Amino acid sequence: MKARGHFQREDAITERNETLVVTAEAGSQSAATSGADAPVAALEEVAFAYAGSDHRALDGVTLELRRGETIGLMGASGAGKSTLAKCLNRIVPAFEDGDFRGRVTIGGRAIDGSQVCELAPRVGMVFQDFEAQLFSTNVAHEVAFAMEQAGMARAEIAARIGPALEAVGLKGFDDRDPTSLSGGEKQRLAIASVLAMRPDLIVLDEPTTDLDPEGRAEVFALIRRLRAEGRTLLVIEHEAEELRGCDRIVILRDGAVIAEGEPASVMGRLELLETSGVHPPDLNRLLGMLEIREHAESIDHAEAIIRAHFPDLPRVERSESEAVEIIAEVRASVRPETAAAPEPIAQLERVSFAYPFGPRVLDTADLTIAPGEFVAVIGQNGSGKTTLAKHLVGLLQPETGRVLIAGRDRAGLAPAATAREVGYVFQNPDHQIFAGTVEEEIAFGPRNLGLGADEIAQRVEEVLAAVNLGAMRGRDPFLLSKGERQRLAVASVLALRPRLLILDEPTTGLDYREQRKMMALVRALNRDGIAIMIITHTPWLVAEFARRAVLMRRGRVVFDGAVRELFARDDLLAGSSFRAPEATALGRRFGFVALSPEELAERIRGFA
Amino acid sequence: MPIYLYIDHRSAIHRLHPTVKVFALFVMFWSVYWVDHPLALLPLGILMVALAQTTGAWPNFYRLRWLFILLIFFTTLAWMVFYRRGPALINLPIIHLSRASLVFGFGRGLKLAELLATSVLFLSTTKVEEFTAGLQRMGVPYRVGFAITLAFRLAPLFIDSALTVVQAQSLRGYDFNRGGPIARARRYVPVVIPVFMGALRKANNMAMALEARGFGISAAPTSYIDFPMRARDRMAFAIVAGIGVLYFGIYYFGYGAIAVN
Repeated sequence: MKARGHFQREDAITERNETLVVTAEAGSQSAATSGADAPVAALEEVAFAYAGSDHRALDGVTLELRRGETIGLMGASGAGKSTLAKCLNRIVPAFEDGDFRGRVTIGGRAIDGSQVCELAPRVGMVFQDFEAQLFSTNVAHEVAFAMEQAGMARAEIAARIGPALEAVGLKGFDDRDPTSLSGGEKQRLAIASVLAMRPDLIVLDEPTTDLDPEGRAEVFALIRRLRAEGRTLLVIEHEAEELRGCDRIVILRDGAVIAEGEPASVMGRLELLETSGVHPPDLNRLLGMLEIREHAESIDHAEAIIRAHFPDLPRVERSESEAVEIIAEVRASVRPETAAAPEPIAQLERVSFAYPFGPRVLDTADLTIAPGEFVAVIGQNGSGKTTLAKHLVGLLQPETGRVLIAGRDRAGLAPAATAREVGYVFQNPDHQIFAGTVEEEIAFGPRNLGLGADEIAQRVEEVLAAVNLGAMRGRDPFLLSKGERQRLAVASVLALRPRLLILDEPTTGLDYREQRKMMALVRALNRDGIAIMIITHTPWLVAEFARRAVLMRRGRVVFDGAVRELFARDDLLAGSSFRAPEATALGRRFGFVALSPEELAERIRGFA
Repeated sequence: MPIYLYIDHRSAIHRLHPTVKVFALFVMFWSVYWVDHPLALLPLGILMVALAQTTGAWPNFYRLRWLFILLIFFTTLAWMVFYRRGPALINLPIIHLSRASLVFGFGRGLKLAELLATSVLFLSTTKVEEFTAGLQRMGVPYRVGFAITLAFRLAPLFIDSALTVVQAQSLRGYDFNRGGPIARARRYVPVVIPVFMGALRKANNMAMALEARGFGISAAPTSYIDFPMRARDRMAFAIVAGIGVLYFGIYYFGYGAIAVN
């Protein structure tokens, strides 16, 4: 693989593709280093194949993690990232049956005879699933847990809890119930409980997958702080822009390291990133489109680079008056989506809702969805997005206000009664999959509606083709990948032929390639006339795919309008834990509200 | 909506030593076991209501109100079928409605409701860590105690997951209430499979996370929380023990049973 562009320093990149080119430095790493100079952790020719699998999840990985270094590990789902991480504390092979080869050392010592729990004081691990790693009923107990297991004295435990919580910004949270924390706080708590053990290495396995943009920002800000403190970190992540601050980026593909180097070297290799299932940074994509061969480390940096090449670009100070001008321009250019709608499919009229003894989750919410719309519902965790959607399908009944489906009040109707009008795909596809084959899973819904065999067969064929799962029709759904199971979940709801399809976080846990595939499917369905309402935390996805955005805050709809207008409103974004994609934020500095790097590049080229 | 029952209210009951609370749980079960008559069970019921009020556990009782009502109603009804003693007040097919069957059935329903109420009250006022510590102090090995308390922690998660699966299948037009009892039970297959698979995955993830946090290094881990046995705990222990003795006495001297005329 050849490095492209003068900004990529060949000496900084270690490529290990088919030709297995290894730099002198990497090649010289010895298996038996120990003592003070030993790397914090090292994998030497590590290979692992899960029992029953005919391919290796890891295939001869050699990697060193040096003291004080932060490594970003990226790659598609199934590339071997989590398997690699789990080798570092022997979860693989201790918890996973399979064929393990090679050698892993921590602090220069091989760990092959150790138990996972014995390595806890040396290697701290933060998992993706925060529900599964919090065991206690209060924050201080949670931080104390690992230290109690290690047999530390009470006074020592007490002395470590405060600093650990302070380090992650949870000072004063000692008595809080972990289940009452936000997603970002839960992950920071998991990190605190690892920090308190003062391990040599902290491994974070996609720690922000289920978090809203604010939660993500909190966790990555913490990672930057830990890096500044000189901790040794391994961070697994799909979004390349989050890893710009790492010392080294490692890309895995099919269980092997295919590229390794400084962020500046790796981030500009857009094709490599995309083919590895990684979302390349928007700023790098933009620079690539403008044929500028430089790496942008931040929005400020990208602005400076672009202005150097396009000196005539306007300068927009983000004053209120100019923001208003932008909004006015946007409003003039956007045709209201609902203007031509004959009759709404779904309407919420001043709906309020609270769980017993709980706070109000929906507060006089109004919403109308017309045929053919593509609406993104956004807002921080707990803002009421899912509660709002559950009212549309009848899983929750409003306390006050009413819900209309195709003009009919849905009060008193069972959820299934409006299945032909509104379909709902849950966030986790595994909450609905149960059948023995893909085909049977899809046929389940139409069969429940009492349709005839011919009609069911026809619908199954239609949706199999729509979601591109035809070749897997006879497969066991539980053996499909997460992305395929997500598409199957969509297919099984599509078979009911709803006019409005609600998708709750359909891209969570998917890599960039799978996310694009899923969203291409959703866009195609929308073009076929199905109205789409998508609940999401992903800014680029809202910008590129939705036409209308509904922003929720504390149970209220605080914005309902064109996506372009939303991204022109700094006031709304700032108060709602949402942020514009980097390309959009950069475009604002030139006076544009561009929704994708492609659109921004086109606008900028106009000033050449 | 909170999925766990613990309510951080810091009442006197919350602050009791965990061993006393575990002992109280046992004694309440014991006391309820020995008597059948609703009048004998009534003081325990009143005590539960008073404790629910003072500990701020009402929201949990409210959440489970239908369970309490259905438990008492259907148990009373069921015993009218099987407990066929005393002269019938009204002649009905299958059901034997007599004063004795009514009192006995209602007593059994009340008994079950009080067992449930005791558990709800205990879980509303006791943290998982306290439960573990309480069991440990009573001689239960740490790992066994932890496993028991973890089950209490996981149960609401699985119930929550099962409810989500029921919702997902309902939205695909599935009717869980079609057919007789056996057919209905079989219709829960589309719920059982996803919940079971999810439970396996969750249990595996949790086991990995536990070991990664050092669970298992030591057979007797230290405890961050100190649980000194104070005077109020000793007093509560004595009161609870007194209730246990009193109820055994009620049984022993023949009170609390239901007389059949």
